Amino acid sequence: MKYIFTLMLFSIVVHSSAQQFQMELDSLIKKIDSSTVANQETIDLRNQYIKQALFANPSDTTLLTFSKKTVDLATDLRYWKGLLVGYERVALVYQYSFSNPYKALEYYHKALGLMEKDKDLQTLGWSIYGGIGTLYYEQEEYGKALEQFKKVLHNDKNLELTATANIANIFGSLNQLDSAIYYYKKALNLEQVTNNPTYKANLYSNLSLIYSQADQLDAALASAENSIGLIEQYGIEFVRPTAYANASMAYLGNKDYVNAELYANEALQLSEAQGNVFLQKSAWGTLADVYSAKGEFSKALEAYTKFSVLKDSLNNQNRRVEINRSQLEFEFEKERTIAQAEIDRQSTIKTASLLGGGGLLAASVLGFVLYKRRRDVLEQKKDAEFRVLVADTELKALRAQMNPHFIFNALNSIGDYILKNNNETALEYLTKFAKLMRMVLENSENKSIPLEEDLKFLELYLQVEAKRQPGKFSYHIQVDEALEVENTLVPPLLLQPFIENSIWHGFRDRDGMGQIQITINENQDMLICSIEDNGRGIEHTANGNESKKSFGVAITENRLKILNKQKNKEGRLQVIDLGEQKGTRVEISLPLEHLF
Amino acid sequence: MKIAIVDDEQHCINHLANLLKPHSADMQLFIFENADDAIIGLEKTRPDIVFLDVQLHDKTGFDVLSSVSKRDFSLIFTTAYETYAIEAFKFSAIDYLLKPVDKDDFEMALQKATDKIEQTQLHDRVKVLLSHISTNNSPKRISVPSNDGYVFLLMEDIVRCQADVNYTHIFTTDGKKYTASKTLKHFEKLLEGDHFFRIHNSHLINLLYVNSYHKDGFTILKDGMKLEVSTRRKEAFIKLCGKL
Repeated sequence: MKYIFTLMLFSIVVHSSAQQFQMELDSLIKKIDSSTVANQETIDLRNQYIKQALFANPSDTTLLTFSKKTVDLATDLRYWKGLLVGYERVALVYQYSFSNPYKALEYYHKALGLMEKDKDLQTLGWSIYGGIGTLYYEQEEYGKALEQFKKVLHNDKNLELTATANIANIFGSLNQLDSAIYYYKKALNLEQVTNNPTYKANLYSNLSLIYSQADQLDAALASAENSIGLIEQYGIEFVRPTAYANASMAYLGNKDYVNAELYANEALQLSEAQGNVFLQKSAWGTLADVYSAKGEFSKALEAYTKFSVLKDSLNNQNRRVEINRSQLEFEFEKERTIAQAEIDRQSTIKTASLLGGGGLLAASVLGFVLYKRRRDVLEQKKDAEFRVLVADTELKALRAQMNPHFIFNALNSIGDYILKNNNETALEYLTKFAKLMRMVLENSENKSIPLEEDLKFLELYLQVEAKRQPGKFSYHIQVDEALEVENTLVPPLLLQPFIENSIWHGFRDRDGMGQIQITINENQDMLICSIEDNGRGIEHTANGNESKKSFGVAITENRLKILNKQKNKEGRLQVIDLGEQKGTRVEISLPLEHLF
Repeated sequence: MKIAIVDDEQHCINHLANLLKPHSADMQLFIFENADDAIIGLEKTRPDIVFLDVQLHDKTGFDVLSSVSKRDFSLIFTTAYETYAIEAFKFSAIDYLLKPVDKDDFEMALQKATDKIEQTQLHDRVKVLLSHISTNNSPKRISVPSNDGYVFLLMEDIVRCQADVNYTHIFTTDGKKYTASKTLKHFEKLLEGDHFFRIHNSHLINLLYVNSYHKDGFTILKDGMKLEVSTRRKEAFIKLCGKL
């Protein structure tokens, strides 16, 4: 996933300081072209060019050929320092342009191998360890990455700042916020940072994000303001979009919706200008939060929609990278063992500074990773909450439909009873149904009710219906003794429509006593409910038509579908025709749920 | 036996009178159709059983109750759908019938009333009832039915309730234990929402007395009691504690 916005990070550099970069690149290429014969100077120039060009355009795959050519030239010249740097450049190209950690590691190892042979080169070595550390980081091997950066930190004063910043980022990724804050502060106190406003602005921006995560809202805001202050003062375009996005979140946390909206919009414009989809998505996400906090829900919805569209398109890309990653993993593991052995052999190597710019780059990349991860978690949470809300609403609507359904069928029963009986008993019958309706209304308020309650309801319902047509049917409810009925939860009114079907349709025109058998059992984390009647069978009711589903049954099927999706379990509804005049069996299986 | 019906709707009076018919042998029936008549009439006739409607034109059955000085009858409220009233009946353990009144429910209520069970400590139970109906924020009590009458406890004094099959032990701040002849579920339904939460099959606790929660699934109350929180209740429990 991170590769996607690693590339985007490069694109920020291109657009924000394109002119400056292009000028430097042009002058470099001119110098390289002017020397007809390769010498040490051209190799140094070529190496410098690769680094700059990599910043400028990471998707430029010609850089690989160019850097490999540089390695060949350096080998021919037996210019070992140039070769070492060349190897490292090839590794960087593989790492950032091709997202190929395996190849990157191979070239880092070549560089390390060279160092082993030539003691003079060892001073250059620590930046390579830093590079390997970033590789581990990208593989989410935080422990190993930390080991590398700590080694760099202890051995190379020149790389102290880069190493400290990277360590801070790792702790951020590990969600060890206190440690992350400690290292960011440490980095900010280093002397190297005093005359490097770019680095300083970047550190403050990342620190602001961590403070936001840690809910230290004041500190988050202070850091964001520090970062933006530096950006404005020095015109640091490199950090601007991320810093704005982070600042927006800090303002949002502080309920300063005006500034939150302002900076989110700024971040959005910058990232749109740069075609940076990742940042655009983040900005829309923050804007959605801002609008909903302000109560501007239609705007919030619009922002959220844009956010979702961008997210989906990013996820598709990410998936591709993930597949690539898993293919590489196996080989990478193999290589890493060798690397580890090699790294362990290196015990005393002195200072060198080579990758100052590269280090800054790595730190920023990691800052981005951090930012993205935070947004991803928030997104997933929001997404999940939204889905739950939709499903709950649908279920509630369906339960609500059960009420009129039940009430009108009840009125039918009551009417039927009044026709057949005297006033006195009709009144008695009516009050029983009033009681049932009360239960339906109360139960349908809840997502789930104890089985005990639902059984009480079914029992009363069956009693009342049996009274309406004496001698027409009898019923029996059998509950597994192992079931704790008061502690088992079921969706309310799930079985009633099927029982109603049996009574109204199953036994119509049937001679002799009908039977309804209701059985409730527990079987391996599932609750199995079955309703069996000895009526004329579902295929043979309703004028022999293709069994027309009753409204209640149709609703119940929909409810089960949503419940299955929500619980991620296989609940099932089966209607089995036992044959003409033999009856129907309905089986519902539900994931077993307990109250306590 | 003297029985009074207080209701402002003729069809409801008819329905009750109809249900009383089988018992009419040694029965004297009084009917009052508004609150004022009822207040005077109840004082005068001194019935054994009163069926009292909640809604009486612009007044309520509660107005009648608070104006009647002698409350030595068995009281049964009747109501259609006044949720607030039903809640209050439950809190005070006063019997009630829902309209349209079901015959079986009626017989059961009448039986209890005739046995004078409903007369026990009615005066105090009515006080609890009226405290729940009143809109001011005075401390609320509940009537706790036990094997020998009722105990009246301030809700804020209840630390926790513990299930004991069909009984419930109620522990209060002064370290006392009361045993109620109702299930824990009864008290859960009653107290839920008023800072009370069922953390376990056997435990209902007052969240105001929670001291701490431990990751291994236990909560410790301010009196040092350590209670298990069932895994399915954990999330909701922590959420509610955070809200206080």
